[in-house]
Amino acid sequence: MADATTNQSVKLILKNVSLRLADFFLEADLEIHSRVTAIFGPSGAGKTSLLDLIAGLRHPGSALIQLGERVLTDTETRTFVPARFRRIGYVPQDLALFPHLSVKQNLLYGHKAEADTNSIFSYDHVVKVLEIQSHTDRRVQNLSGGEKQRVALARALLSSPRILLLDEPLASLDTGLKSRIIPYLARVRDEFQIAMLYVTHDWPEVRSLCSEVLMMERGRVVRRGHPEELSPNF
Amino acid sequence: MRKRFHFSARKGLMLILFLACCVAGSQLRADELTVFAAASLTDSLREIASAYEQEHGTKISFNLAASSFLARQIDEGAPADIFLSADEAKMDALEQRGRIINDTRQTLLGNSLVIVTARDSALSIHSPDDLLRPEVKQLALADPKAVPAGIYSRLYFEKIGIWNQIAPKVIPTANVRATLAAVESGNVEAGMVYSTDAGISKQVKVAYEVPPADSPKIRYPVAVIKDSEHLESAKQFLTYLRSGKASAIFRHYGFVVLPPAKPHEP
Amino acid sequence: MNPEAWQILGFTAWVSALSTLVILPFGLTVAWLLARFQWPGKSIVETLVSVPLVMPPVATGLILLKLFGRRGPIGGLLHDSLNLDIVFTWRGVLIALCVMSFPLLVRSARVAFEQVNPRFEQIARTLGASNPRVFCTITLPLARNGILGGMLLAFARALGEFGATIMIAGNIPGKTSTLSLAIFQSVQLGEDSHAYRLLALSVALAFAAVWGSEWLMRRRTNP
Repeated sequence: MADATTNQSVKLILKNVSLRLADFFLEADLEIHSRVTAIFGPSGAGKTSLLDLIAGLRHPGSALIQLGERVLTDTETRTFVPARFRRIGYVPQDLALFPHLSVKQNLLYGHKAEADTNSIFSYDHVVKVLEIQSHTDRRVQNLSGGEKQRVALARALLSSPRILLLDEPLASLDTGLKSRIIPYLARVRDEFQIAMLYVTHDWPEVRSLCSEVLMMERGRVVRRGHPEELSPNF
Repeated sequence: MRKRFHFSARKGLMLILFLACCVAGSQLRADELTVFAAASLTDSLREIASAYEQEHGTKISFNLAASSFLARQIDEGAPADIFLSADEAKMDALEQRGRIINDTRQTLLGNSLVIVTARDSALSIHSPDDLLRPEVKQLALADPKAVPAGIYSRLYFEKIGIWNQIAPKVIPTANVRATLAAVESGNVEAGMVYSTDAGISKQVKVAYEVPPADSPKIRYPVAVIKDSEHLESAKQFLTYLRSGKASAIFRHYGFVVLPPAKPHEP
Repeated sequence: MNPEAWQILGFTAWVSALSTLVILPFGLTVAWLLARFQWPGKSIVETLVSVPLVMPPVATGLILLKLFGRRGPIGGLLHDSLNLDIVFTWRGVLIALCVMSFPLLVRSARVAFEQVNPRFEQIARTLGASNPRVFCTITLPLARNGILGGMLLAFARALGEFGATIMIAGNIPGKTSTLSLAIFQSVQLGEDSHAYRLLALSVALAFAAVWGSEWLMRRRTNP
């Protein structure tokens, strides 16, 4: 179903979202159409929980979550599409690369053979874009931080997602490595042309990759706009 | 550090108190006897003991199990005062190892064997050969290698020449009362127990009484254990077991009360 | 060692191994449900699972005897409809071993499952895997060492089982006599040297099983 030519940024609708967290309620009521949207805020603001809700890994108290034309969660009609059917690629903060599988097995875990024919999500294409050809036969434990990052990205992409969720992808890397990975993310943005939701608390990342920013604090989006508008007291 | 000291002091105190109670307890109950006896004597001995308690005040506690099991425990130093076994062999073994006071040994009782089935059993068993029929799949016996009741049963079947055919059907149990329970439960088709056991159970019926001519001699010897700490009390109770009152109780349960003979006469 | 002793050893090892395999599917399911989910009645199930660990084995054996005897609810049904006897047969031994070793397997497997980072399972789901596939390809392999340790522990427990076994199956030479029952009988018969040989065998087996189990539990797959 994923197809390079027609896969423009998909609209993500979050309406009446409410989830009880430890100290406060996560609430959201917005629409996202941009190519790469940053979710920016201090730790504990509920950013990861928001991603979990979108991915179908958590059940909200109430919500309507819709991706494109497809309703994923609707507490009013008791609709809940299980995570496996949502076509959402998720790169979590700890990467969660399966330690008992090789790199190649990780990459192919969500991959369907059909994607290999004439699709940007084909195995060869993804591996080439992220430059991990030489790593595919290695064990996950033997990879460096940056290599793991790219493998996790590739794994998510190889499942032909409609939207990519990234939870602080560069948080564990030092500045030098960060600046070397950011181009890969830019490449993903440009080559795969799918929407990306990018959680971070690092402003330079926001500036170099994202076309829109949502600022979150204690479970709510308090501001949104272009990175240049919202700049620099961060 | 102070907290730990407090804690262990309390524990030490409690331990001392506990030990004191144990010692005090044992002092209070100086008049107590422990009798190790064959399981088949359960009901009769309990009745005799309560009569004895009322008359003499001595409290009697029992360890009732297979004689083989009990003999083993006595051999290992279990605190028994008196041993009442269901066969001479167990007593012989203890005598050889110097565990009993030889001149207190006497043969007290006799018994006989019966084949029993569950009261509601549809099987008609009127002779030992009926046990060979295929409808009788399982026959419960007290362990024929060790327990007197089982040994007597095996000797009987060997004597009438059918042991080899019976053996594959045998379910060995821990003691003769366990055999009785197995028959009562319906889990086996038949069992062999003493006639005295069949007498106390309402859930089994006697299918066949083994005639004395075919049966091995069943003898219950009794003796005082050498390491007993209540020798006088024990000898007194032994004498009581020979009394008219005790004999009447034994007979009431179906035991044969044997006349006193010189000690150690088979 | 004489042929009889070999038969006892073989029978004990075989029926213990079989019992471990028999409880595996149900045990893993229960462990999984206890590890991952909250549901009404969960604490009752947790307690029930642990009961055979704490109750005197003979008491458990008595319950089994009443259930599976010819006049019991389950045993009666089997006897009347299939002419199948449980008590005083190897099937009775098998049931006793299953019941007594079940809690050990469930507890170990539960810990093993709890130690698998749920994130792995979640990511697998976002990659399109169904729940059975997640369980088989992610959860089980990552919990493998803990589960194997639990199986070894259950096996060791089954090897040494006595109280429940003797209640429901008796000690029938050649048919239901296990290592522990044989030791007991040897002692009763005064065959001490034979008993000590069997004892040494039991200790060696138990030691190996528990040691192996501890080693496996410590070697968790890289989280």
